[in-house]
Amino acid sequence: MLLPKFEFHEPGSIKEALELKKKWGSTARFLAGGTDLLVHLKKKIITTDHIISLQRIESLARITAHPDFVEIGACATMAAISETPVIQAKFSALKSGVDNIGTHLIRNRATLGGNVCNASPAGDSLPALLIYKALVLLESLDGKREVPIEEFFKGPGKTDMKADEILTGFRLPNPPVHSGAHYIQLGKRKSSEINVVNVASFLEFDPKTKKIIDARIALGSVAATPIRSLKAEALLKGKIAEETSFYEAGEKARFEDCKPIDDFRGSAAYRRAMVGVLTKRTLTTAFKLAGR
Amino acid sequence: MKKIIHLTINELDHEIAVEPNKTLADLLRYDLKLTGTKKGCDTGDCGACTVIMNGDPVNSCLVLAVQTNGSRIETVEGLSTDEGIHPIQKAFVEKGAIQCGYCTPGMIMSTKSLLDKNPNPSEQEIREGISGNLCRCTGYTKIFEAIESLRS
Ligand SMILES: Cc1cc2nc3c(=O)[nH]c(=O)nc-3n(C[C@H](O)[C@H](O)[C@H](O)COP(=O)(O)OP(=O)(O)OC[C@H]3O[C@@H](n4cnc5c(N)ncnc54)[C@H](O)[C@@H]3O)c2cc1C
Ligand code: FES
Ligand code: FES
Repeated sequence: MLLPKFEFHEPGSIKEALELKKKWGSTARFLAGGTDLLVHLKKKIITTDHIISLQRIESLARITAHPDFVEIGACATMAAISETPVIQAKFSALKSGVDNIGTHLIRNRATLGGNVCNASPAGDSLPALLIYKALVLLESLDGKREVPIEEFFKGPGKTDMKADEILTGFRLPNPPVHSGAHYIQLGKRKSSEINVVNVASFLEFDPKTKKIIDARIALGSVAATPIRSLKAEALLKGKIAEETSFYEAGEKARFEDCKPIDDFRGSAAYRRAMVGVLTKRTLTTAFKLAGR
Repeated sequence: MKKIIHLTINELDHEIAVEPNKTLADLLRYDLKLTGTKKGCDTGDCGACTVIMNGDPVNSCLVLAVQTNGSRIETVEGLSTDEGIHPIQKAFVEKGAIQCGYCTPGMIMSTKSLLDKNPNPSEQEIREGISGNLCRCTGYTKIFEAIESLRS
């Protein structure tokens, strides 16, 4: 398959990248891991006259742990994120999200920023970013901007990012003590599969009263963007953390919080049923992890 | 406009002028005649084009040649020495892990990367290590056995 002709730019800094983007506007596209961009160009889904590679901008690939939060650079690869101790220790649902992307060959190239910009409703890293309350960090020549991740997705392939902006990374606040989170994706096989349904849940509880202090549930592949299951979350707050509460939340998520469609990967009814099951399962595991 | 890149392929230094829209797979196959690296899908799905780039296995059909400036690339051609074929290649031959052979170079590069990082992989780790490589002939069992026989 042939790639169209384009000019290739390799800036060494964010500023230089933004200047190039400003100069070439919508005729230019940023290249991170290329696992979406090059496939879309080969399949003639998109075209471009200029490619601005981000791979020489070292700061974009950094993952840094701060006392209260962790910052993940947009160009950190899935493989690098998965191997980072602070992610393994504090953000296990994100680790499991990135571990589910494609194959290990893809994960050596694919970046978190690319997965978010691609804005697929089924994107594997997105539910975890939603439940960890990630902030999306954007920059243009005019300045910096932060957007809560739940406001970032506007539709399949559509985001809040402006044409003159670059995504520089994500800030994830450290989860509180007595909290846990979990992610499950349901596909047809274990490796390299587009999800039928994918769910991440976060749970914080009071170990004295066993009451749920906070809960966040994110559903993928059941709407035009990954979404929060707000009614199920509201139902959980103040309830005792136990199997029946998790089951009720699953039923709420299944019937009131999602709008799945029929396609060749699964029927809407099946997707709904699986939202119920996976919501309950992710909450159960999140609770177990919270109790450690 | 062509760009000049410098890279090391199987420990040989190269200086090449490449078109920006050429993939690493095409650079290897068409410009350098290293046709051991195969192309099945050209979209990251099959793993036939697997090479090792700076120590990590990647789909060379999804890497632009210009992006490899300054990189170290290992392909299947780099495995054999004057003493003969590489122990991984030998194990694949002896265990019958090759039928049509189209997936073999990619499968072997994934195996090399797996064993370089982890000389004694578990069953699960072996299966994960080749999960990016599709084989339409063998049913994977013999490939698995070949890799298993290489565990130290
Ligand atoms: C075989 C295969 C299997 C896959 N399996 C999965 C899977 O299981 N789950 C899943 O979620 N995805 C999957 N994908 C999709 C893809 O790998 C991911 O979406 C990946 O994270 C994209 O990241 P990238 O760095 O390769 O993005 P690129 O292809 O480099 O970029 C994607 C888009 O984002 C833009 N962009 C990238 N970075 C920035 C930035 N910093 N600022 C502004 N714009 C930017 C680019 O211009 C482009 O439009 C698969 C892809 C392939 C080829
Ligand atoms: S040819 Fe590259 S993955 Fe199939
Ligand atoms: S031996 Fe034919 S594809 Fe693997």
